[in-house]
Amino acid sequence: MSKIGLIISREYITRVRKKSFILMSFLGPLLIVGFVLLTAYLSSGEKEKYEILVVDESHLFDSILRNSTKYHLQWAPKDKSYSEVQELFKEDADLDLLVYLPINLIKTNFMTAKCLYKDIPSTGVQKHLSGIINEAIELYRVSYNKIDINTYKSIKTRINLDVVDIENEANKNIQRKAFIGIAFSMFIYLFIFIYSVQVMRGVIEEKTNRIVEIIISSVSTFELMMAKIIGVGLVGITQFIIWTSVTFIMSLTILPQIIPDKYNPASQIESDKISENIALIDPSNEILQFIIYEIQWPYLILFFILFFLGGYFLYSGLMAAIGAAVDEEADTQQFLLPLTIPMVFALMMAGKVIDDPSSSLSFWLSEIPFTSPIIMIVRIAMGIGDSSVEVWEIILSLFLLIIAFIFTTWLSSKIYRKGILSFGKKASYSEIIKWLRS
Amino acid sequence: MPSRNIIEIENLHKSYSGFKALNNIHLSIEKSKIFGLLGPNGAGKTTLIRIINQILTPDFGTVKFDGEILSRKHIHHIGYLPEERGLYKKMKVGEQAIYLAQLKGLSKKEAKEKLNYWFEKLGATNWWNKKIEDLSKGMAQKVQFITTVLHDPKVLILDEPLSGLDPVNSLMIKNEILELKKRKTSIILSTHDMNSVEEICDEAAIINHSEKIMQGGIQELKEKYQENSWTIKYRGNQMSFTNAVWGGWEIITHKKINENTNKAEIRLLNQFTINQFIKGIVDHVEIVDINLKTPTIQEVFIKATTNE
Repeated sequence: MSKIGLIISREYITRVRKKSFILMSFLGPLLIVGFVLLTAYLSSGEKEKYEILVVDESHLFDSILRNSTKYHLQWAPKDKSYSEVQELFKEDADLDLLVYLPINLIKTNFMTAKCLYKDIPSTGVQKHLSGIINEAIELYRVSYNKIDINTYKSIKTRINLDVVDIENEANKNIQRKAFIGIAFSMFIYLFIFIYSVQVMRGVIEEKTNRIVEIIISSVSTFELMMAKIIGVGLVGITQFIIWTSVTFIMSLTILPQIIPDKYNPASQIESDKISENIALIDPSNEILQFIIYEIQWPYLILFFILFFLGGYFLYSGLMAAIGAAVDEEADTQQFLLPLTIPMVFALMMAGKVIDDPSSSLSFWLSEIPFTSPIIMIVRIAMGIGDSSVEVWEIILSLFLLIIAFIFTTWLSSKIYRKGILSFGKKASYSEIIKWLRS
Repeated sequence: MPSRNIIEIENLHKSYSGFKALNNIHLSIEKSKIFGLLGPNGAGKTTLIRIINQILTPDFGTVKFDGEILSRKHIHHIGYLPEERGLYKKMKVGEQAIYLAQLKGLSKKEAKEKLNYWFEKLGATNWWNKKIEDLSKGMAQKVQFITTVLHDPKVLILDEPLSGLDPVNSLMIKNEILELKKRKTSIILSTHDMNSVEEICDEAAIINHSEKIMQGGIQELKEKYQENSWTIKYRGNQMSFTNAVWGGWEIITHKKINENTNKAEIRLLNQFTINQFIKGIVDHVEIVDINLKTPTIQEVFIKATTNE
């Protein structure tokens, strides 16, 4: 193995063997899956089962209003008035909701149904209730007007409004996709930051140890710096690959067991015994389906790796220079701030980019190398094509990133070479400028 | 014809942002000898060592290694133990030693074999799987010594190899250095410990204010700073002795050893000889012992670097 290969493999192996690396490899995906589950859980309401008392003044709903185990309907005694039923509802702790269907609801379009609650139901529950009431009214009207049920089925539509780019139909629901982009830009930020700081720490360790003198008597300072950056970068990619694979495996194995009826659209359709023609929207299901089917994962993962590497090389070279310039980690603060500002600024601007992914602000932030890894991934998540980001913009951004990291690496190696052998002198900006000039 | 010297340095200059770290250094280090590189702090020793190690490049001047201009291929023939000892604290002893040996061009297998030999020799067999941070300072220093010599370098550069070692380990390392010399290793020893220079070095050079001020065999250096000072042990009256010592010499110290015996250190002045001195005192006291006083390397060092 060449010496550079040797250093890369030492940097890599010592890090992936660490307990913290192994722990994070499994904790990361757990957090991701946990986050998705939590979102699904929060949007689906908290209860497993709802006991719903129905006051049906027209007595026309009882055979057509869809009943299910989860949303279990009970019919209020017909001899009791609405106000008496309300009292009954208040007293009976088992009842969760009271649905009031006024007498003319089924025949006119002017009446409204009411849902009285003790604890406010989630939007998912509300959607379900209005869904089954609408469905019942429609079924009643179908039979009242003597319309053939199959004709009705063929007329009946459930419209989802997809917001689509006129020139590229693949670009739909881009704002929703942007949230995935934001999550990815957070990951890119975290990965760049965590791993470039690891490079810096490694350099400081070698410098304070003085082992660096032994190593640079075998390889050049530039080779050592690059080998360290590459070794740590590979650790980052390994971490990311483990995260995506474990998350993927968990999504396929654990997720369906935790929420089987929500996860698999087919199982829900089967349980709908009464009218299988109308699938009701389960919001949690919608989120999961969106995450699983609508996001272009292969592209997103590919560009994540490319932009992570670009950003990481850009920043880690500078971090290595900082590590070489100081004697201990406590001295790094003054140099770290100017490096973190562009990244934090990019994260803050991500919201603006989602609002208008093709604005000039979005364009520049995704082309300027210090912010591009974080912003470009948001735009890519929103869809590659005219409305969000064009292919040439991605290529240009990557190209600029490569040019920038070659430049910063050259700059850093000058600082690194001088700094790594200078001990006891407190590094300052003026000292560093002197090193760069010499 | 093979070179007699392992390292030859000519006209070497190195400056850092206007500061002259080395100025016109000429130095030759003979093969299979222990060469002491001496000098006060900041004199330029570390810069010189770094240039030999090719960590730094000189502004101009040449460094020859075994007759050839020093280049990257010579890296494998140099072993370097820096003054500030350091190894990767979290790495295991065995792994780390193999890693450093591989960087010096050994294969993993070779490194393992040699490591077993050295570990056994220095009583470090049980340390293989220990982390450096779990070793004592002295133990870590031994490990570092092993990693420096593992690849059988032709030149060994040791910067303060004995500092921080207890007397037993210090002796052990000193003996190893002597044994390496026997095995034809050329050794550059940079140290402030003048006793060890005296004990083990064959030659030395003193660098001061970026310049080499002297070089030579240990005895040669001492003779250079030899003064006309003598120690004399005599029996008899101190008063008679002092009266006999007139103008031509000065008494530096005088000590009573017992009732009748005294010891004095004298310095001859001007052109006077020891014979004249003896003639002057021989009728007054009985001379027991008389010796020309040789300066220690420490005295040579102090005189040379402080221009005394």
